[in-house]
Amino acid sequence: MRHYEVMVILDPDVEERAVSPLIENFLNVVRTGGGNVEKVDTWGRRRLSYEINKKSEGIYSVIDLKAEPAVVKELDRQLNLSEQVLRTKVLRPDTH
Amino acid sequence: MAKPPVRKPKKKVCVFCKDKITYVDYKDTNLLRKFISDRGKIRARRVTGNCTQHQRDVATAVKNSREVALLPYTSTAR
Repeated sequence: MRHYEVMVILDPDVEERAVSPLIENFLNVVRTGGGNVEKVDTWGRRRLSYEINKKSEGIYSVIDLKAEPAVVKELDRQLNLSEQVLRTKVLRPDTH
Repeated sequence: MAKPPVRKPKKKVCVFCKDKITYVDYKDTNLLRKFISDRGKIRARRVTGNCTQHQRDVATAVKNSREVALLPYTSTAR
């Protein structure tokens, strides 16, 4: 099991109260895969430094989790398939 | 010919070594903004005064930060 930090930028058109159920839905992959979600930190709406898919804003969320590499890979794949996700970034903080 | 004025090099101490910070966080944009120019370029070590290792950590953090649109690749100022 490794410690990962996943940053997700959601579409600004997603409603504020729809954000956490949406993320929880994605995190089910981790839970069923034997991983452990430690922290979900939603920053809320924020201006992007440059436009992504013609959007100038995004809803930022940072997720701390412990899981097997394959599980995180699958999570990243599913996030990228979703229309509501602008961008994702998976990082292992302990390698830096 | 006038002699060029002798400038005493002021030795700068790396801010990260001074504060004993080991991990430069890519989410901390306020901190990272001190290490980029107004055009968005990463400042050189001779400007920032960072040590080799920390300059490298800062550069990586800035690049990670750019990927998630927290910092600009370029600013269109001017």
